[in-house]
Amino acid sequence: MTDIEAPGSAGTQLPPGEREFTVRQRTQTQLVLRRFVRHRAAMVSLVVFVLILLWAFIGPHLWHYSYEKYTEDNSKPPSWKHPFGTNSSGYDAYAQVMRGTQTSLKIAIMIALGSTLVGAIWGAIAGFYRGIVDAVMMRIADLVLTLPLFAIALVISSRTGGSWYWIAIVIAGLTWAYVARVVRSSVLSLREKEFIEAARALGASDVRIIFRHLLPNALGPIIVNATILVATGILTETALSFLGFGVQPPDTSLGLLVSQAQTAVDTRPWLFYIPGAFIIAIALTINFIGDGLRDAFDPRQQRVRQ
Amino acid sequence: MRAPSSALTRALTLAAGLTLVLTACSSGGGGGGPSKGTSAGLTSCNTVGQANTCNSAATKSGGTYTYVLEKNIQQWNVQDVNGNTFENGEALEVVLPQVFVPQPDFTVALNTDLVTSATQTSTSPQTIVYKINPKAAWNDGTPITADDFTYYWRTNNGKDCPPPPASDSSQTHGCLPQSTAGYDRIKSLTPSDNGKTFTMVMSKPYSDWKSLFGAGYPLYPAHTAEKLSGAKVGDAAAMTATQMAQAWQYFLKTPPTKYPTAGAYKMQQWVDNDHATFVPDPKWYGAKKATLQRLIFKVISDATQEPTALKNNEVQGIYPQPEVDLVNQVKDIPGVTYSIGNGLTWEHFDLNLHDPVLGKYLALRQAMFTAINTKDIIAKTVGQFDPAVKPLGSHNFVPGQAGYKDVVSATGQGSGDLTKAKKYLTDAKFTGVGTALKTPDGKTVGPFNCRYTTGNQIRQSECQILQSNLASLGIKITIKPIGAADLGTVLAGHQYDIIVFAWVAAPFPTSNAQQNWFTGGGGNYGGYSNKTADSLISQAVGETDATKAAALLNQADQIMVNDAYVLPLYQKPTFFASQTRFVNMRNNSTNVGPAYNTGTWGLKK
Amino acid sequence: MLAYTVRRILVSIPVLIVSTFIVFLVVINSGDPVANFATSRQPAPSKAAVAAFARHIHANQPVMERYWNWITGVLHGDFGPSVQANLNIGHDLFTRFKVTITLVAAAMILALIMAVVFGVFSAIRQYSAADYTITFFGFLFLAMPVFWFAVLLKQAGIWFNEKTGSQFLGTIGEKSPYLEVDTTWNQFTDHVGHLILPTITLALVSFASWTRYTRASMLEVLNSDYVRLARAKGLRRGKVMTRHALRTALIPLATVTALDIAIILGGAVITETIFQWHGMGEMLVQAATTLDVYRTMAWLLLSAVVVIGFNLVADLLYAVLDPRIRYD
Repeated sequence: MTDIEAPGSAGTQLPPGEREFTVRQRTQTQLVLRRFVRHRAAMVSLVVFVLILLWAFIGPHLWHYSYEKYTEDNSKPPSWKHPFGTNSSGYDAYAQVMRGTQTSLKIAIMIALGSTLVGAIWGAIAGFYRGIVDAVMMRIADLVLTLPLFAIALVISSRTGGSWYWIAIVIAGLTWAYVARVVRSSVLSLREKEFIEAARALGASDVRIIFRHLLPNALGPIIVNATILVATGILTETALSFLGFGVQPPDTSLGLLVSQAQTAVDTRPWLFYIPGAFIIAIALTINFIGDGLRDAFDPRQQRVRQ
Repeated sequence: MRAPSSALTRALTLAAGLTLVLTACSSGGGGGGPSKGTSAGLTSCNTVGQANTCNSAATKSGGTYTYVLEKNIQQWNVQDVNGNTFENGEALEVVLPQVFVPQPDFTVALNTDLVTSATQTSTSPQTIVYKINPKAAWNDGTPITADDFTYYWRTNNGKDCPPPPASDSSQTHGCLPQSTAGYDRIKSLTPSDNGKTFTMVMSKPYSDWKSLFGAGYPLYPAHTAEKLSGAKVGDAAAMTATQMAQAWQYFLKTPPTKYPTAGAYKMQQWVDNDHATFVPDPKWYGAKKATLQRLIFKVISDATQEPTALKNNEVQGIYPQPEVDLVNQVKDIPGVTYSIGNGLTWEHFDLNLHDPVLGKYLALRQAMFTAINTKDIIAKTVGQFDPAVKPLGSHNFVPGQAGYKDVVSATGQGSGDLTKAKKYLTDAKFTGVGTALKTPDGKTVGPFNCRYTTGNQIRQSECQILQSNLASLGIKITIKPIGAADLGTVLAGHQYDIIVFAWVAAPFPTSNAQQNWFTGGGGNYGGYSNKTADSLISQAVGETDATKAAALLNQADQIMVNDAYVLPLYQKPTFFASQTRFVNMRNNSTNVGPAYNTGTWGLKK
Repeated sequence: MLAYTVRRILVSIPVLIVSTFIVFLVVINSGDPVANFATSRQPAPSKAAVAAFARHIHANQPVMERYWNWITGVLHGDFGPSVQANLNIGHDLFTRFKVTITLVAAAMILALIMAVVFGVFSAIRQYSAADYTITFFGFLFLAMPVFWFAVLLKQAGIWFNEKTGSQFLGTIGEKSPYLEVDTTWNQFTDHVGHLILPTITLALVSFASWTRYTRASMLEVLNSDYVRLARAKGLRRGKVMTRHALRTALIPLATVTALDIAIILGGAVITETIFQWHGMGEMLVQAATTLDVYRTMAWLLLSAVVVIGFNLVADLLYAVLDPRIRYD
């Protein structure tokens, strides 16, 4: 369905101007984009994800209830007034889910950006220099990998008062090492390629080689990894909040909302299912987007035919 | 686990109930046996006068009843400061005897299986004569005698078995009783009648003498202590400090499966972190035999998992902190009855008087407390599942206790009356009332933080309602949760402006008042100080007449209310649910918990 | 390879020391258990009791000395004092480890079997309806918060019990406290009944990602030249699949499984809480909420050893299964 058709294969519905003998040269970016756009699940997911994103960040400004101001209506099921119902203290669940989505997304995106940035540079430097630099840097990464995320997050959260950026920093501080590993391995193979030799022969500096040649060429796995980190970030945050070590009220997150509504599954189901559905929707769309990106960057798997 | 609603609730609940119970006029007799009861299940327990008799019926033999403990029992000496937990108390009172037992209606009843009478024969010096039940014996055949009481007294008085010395880092070379109160006033304990009677003489009067040798802290077998420490058996009076410390350590480490006990049940098995199994003790000498085939106390450390376990018939009785969904969930389970009782713990807002602004301006504090709407707070929290909860009007007593007097309502505190609150401020020349409040000398008031233990949704709501109430005065409040393990640090270090937590309406209202409200008292975290109140509290402590002591405390309380230091909110409800096929379980909100009468629990006939 | 193993183990020792030290610093700086002890009891404990408590948990010793004493203690099998009275951390750790390992092993086995079955099936029938269904559910499970699913699963379990009028599925603990008829068979079904719900919960996430993995590597292998060659030579399809394709395709899965152990241990924290298994997960949460330094450290030490051990196993497996890779 979404794979790249081999030239001349049957069943392609390309516009007349793009037949095989009138091939225009496409840049790598164009190729990737084109492949991504053809991935139907990924495109649908992207649209849904962007809608959720807009809703979570713009919605609160338009909605007439605030997540931190209670209303008169305690424990009301969904209605026109409160589309997602209210909780015991009369907080509007619609406002809370919006805010929760916003916080969870902020945390997840910050985790992805932070750990990708640190991990990519770390891995690129280690892979590029190899030898002792590599050994030392990768042992440090191994060290970080042995620190159990839950233990550290549990312990640190009691100090940080549960602000969203601290949670993001702690989780990112423990996940960048994964990225470093991935990037290092692709840099190890890239650095032997001819174009790097060429760059070196032309007298490019190490910094230039790392940032202009190695990292851009390793961008595929880096971006794919970053999307996966967004999804795992959301889930890690919810797990921490469930154990009481994540985001702290009065701020809220999707994980916190679900964990607060654990006993409500039978009695006030709207409090339990709605935030849960949002977590799933976000993680699901991100995973599909990641899948689409992977196929776009690395179409090899898709060519397989029985 | 999830954010223990606060260290200061369950842990404190244990110690509760002693004198509160004891000062409440109590007939003492009756032994707690169900005389005529209702079979309406636990729902009838809130009817006045039914607390001690509801849900009672005849039983038939057989059946296994599993009751939930919310914490593992790590340490088995409930008299020790570390073993003094609610769960430990509940498990031990099944197998070990105690003199007076707190009842659901906050009175105490004499345990006639242990002592047939305990009478005060003289007030000067205060003398009490205990007559031990002639049949009373440990299940290895050794009779229960005055020696068991002597051992109890000597290990708990703080002198004969002193705390571990500074050189001992293992905490094992001494006794650390949870409280020496009363035991340190016993002058002599003289056995007679072959050890089956003893006379206790006090050096100083102790009005709460009924709390001694019981009220949640049962007796351990002295002959076991003597044997294992190499002391002469039957002569606890001659035990040395080292011997007593050794025995103290033994009872601390050893579950009661290993030593002789004296209860309707004996503990057959203890599986650490999981459950205790009790079976009827064939050697039990008491009038009523246990009818259950098996009684199990199962550890479930996350209260949210209790209703599902009850629904799935994995447990038959639960006693969690109530919360609206939990209550509604239990309501929907067929064949289960429940009761919401009034607990002894009460919620309150505290102001930190160490803060220069809060400490300086009385009018500000009065205005803040007046602006807070307690009724609204109740409606949005505990009122959701218990419509009977009312604003609390005292800092020392809860309704139902003798001595309770509402001293708060009349002042308008907690009424949410904004006009009155604003008047306090304008009268005191505050500016920016209702917008951005400034002190008379032009300093901005606040922003103050409101702190609560993390994960406690009810307290979170309380802070948020306070936030909105005080915004109407022009005071900004930031809400700042306290890490699960940090409450102690926050309180002791005064790291709060406004804090919400709970106190236990005291076992000993006077000594508790001394701790919490007296200048420099151990629980006076907010730094309250008023000389007149201090002197009234001191008088109350020295007063042996309970009614007079209560009157003095209420006078002191009136002064404190006028000073607007702590705003009481409400008495916290307790919640007990049990399957209807079993009977005679009741919601006992005191420190002994619903397990106070396990001997009578059984399958409904 | 032996030399390689020994070298790896030697290298992991300083890693362990540094990581335990970091956690040690973090924990002791994150709160004051002595203040908690002093304020969380009513009546308030005496000064002597507070002082005894502080001495007992070594709160009065300098940091470096405490860490040094801990390290040397551990080498002698002493894991240090707990904030909770009368708790032997070493004993606690090992009893809880047994509980957790049962759950983790059951979940891993279940996840692996299902991952291989569904992954291979998905790859063979690529782009079929079954493939899309499996892929979709894989993604769905990957996106589901464990505890959210667990709450629903618990409800389903109770519903199942109600419908069948049995008491087969347990929602709390590893086994029932008692059995009416105590036979070996009943003990076995009781264990199984308690194992089912938590195992499914814990297996879910790994199952989803491992299925994806199996499918991908299977596809890669199926498309490789030697499989084509084998088919071209006229070998039967079934034989090609099992003898050539499957074996090669499972190599990356084996290493991923070993590397994922850390994630599964993390998932066990939540699963144990919901199903009230008194294992290492509960221990960690308790230790963190009570600021119990030595108990946290014991947890860390064991889980770090497991993680490092499995990482090593992963690398060695790679070499064993794939003769092209050699360590020296």
